[in-house]
Amino acid sequence: MKPLFMISVMTLNLLITPAAVSEDHAQSGEHLHQDVSANESDSSHDMQHHQSHSVHPVEGESDATEPDGQATLTRTDEIDRALAEGGSPIVADVLGVVCDFCAIAMNKIFGSQPEVAAVYVDLDTKALSLVLSPSGSLSDAKIADLAVQAGYRIAAIRRDEAALGISL
Amino acid sequence: MNRIVWAVALLPLLLNSNISTARPVSYTGGLTLIEESDRQSTSLLVHFTPAHQWSIGLRGEHNRNQDYALYTLHPTWLAKRWFGKNHQGNLYLHGGVGVATGVNGNPLGEDIAAHGGVMADWETRSLFASYRSRYLDAGHFGAQFAHAARAGFAPYIGKTGDLHTWLMLEIDHRPSERISMTATPLIRFFKGPVLLEVGYTLSINQPLINFTYRL
Repeated sequence: MKPLFMISVMTLNLLITPAAVSEDHAQSGEHLHQDVSANESDSSHDMQHHQSHSVHPVEGESDATEPDGQATLTRTDEIDRALAEGGSPIVADVLGVVCDFCAIAMNKIFGSQPEVAAVYVDLDTKALSLVLSPSGSLSDAKIADLAVQAGYRIAAIRRDEAALGISL
Repeated sequence: MNRIVWAVALLPLLLNSNISTARPVSYTGGLTLIEESDRQSTSLLVHFTPAHQWSIGLRGEHNRNQDYALYTLHPTWLAKRWFGKNHQGNLYLHGGVGVATGVNGNPLGEDIAAHGGVMADWETRSLFASYRSRYLDAGHFGAQFAHAARAGFAPYIGKTGDLHTWLMLEIDHRPSERISMTATPLIRFFKGPVLLEVGYTLSINQPLINFTYRL
């Protein structure tokens, strides 16, 4: 019994030592307008080693995704109202969003910001849709930091026309 | 609504873990209620997440087989989270220190108790796997090592806010028990802030009921 526990703890130590160190490499929030380099990302690398190429379309998803695979703003009543009031749209690709608890975390953290008029997390597109209040602003670094508080990572951020899927 | 939530959470305490379950660390500022009930014990954990990498909670646990209760301060540390576009993996360390006290006429009185262990999980929107372990030293009430692994799948993929359903199988191993290994098929329902698991442990005919509510 005790040997089993000791083996478990020793194995754990081996696993987490490099992990704990890498967690300290928090993302700066810079260069977020680039797309992620791959569908897989370790948390120690996800914001620091971006290579530019398109995100592949999410399997089985189409309604809030552009043909090039980039998620666009998910339209809900709340988001439409906020847009109608002159808010500016933002879409952020989020890594690790797989369940409703993830969505709740993002909703709670972003929804508590006074600059945010509407928020929605789409599990299909793995995208966070935000509409800022007309006078509000939220930097890329702030969005990245809020995502970390929720327990997740941002892979890319698109604003305004790009968030709506409108080609310039 | 609140009354219903509390009623559902407390129901399993009347029936009958308990090594800890889904998402033991929440978002910064999040509060979570976790009830777990398995072949041996029933527990209730309320935890608060001050920062995204750890939570602190109060845990009460009733060991039905040995008639004692545990009351511990229960920290959990998210040691590592792996992020992918379509998956998430987590590695947690959890522990606790407090007291064990006899119940239902158990004459053993009270003693200091401590527990610790590891949890790991990996999931996509349609596949799930997890492992968890715990070593408990309950003083003169005894010590126990327990660990369990799970695998499951979602028969359909729901959208945000839909009712999500998972079918899972849990294999639980407790070397000190007379029947050391058991299998529990279970079904998980997940909707918004509520997670409910209902299963049945074969070979010892005991229900498994787990409930989580995230505020």
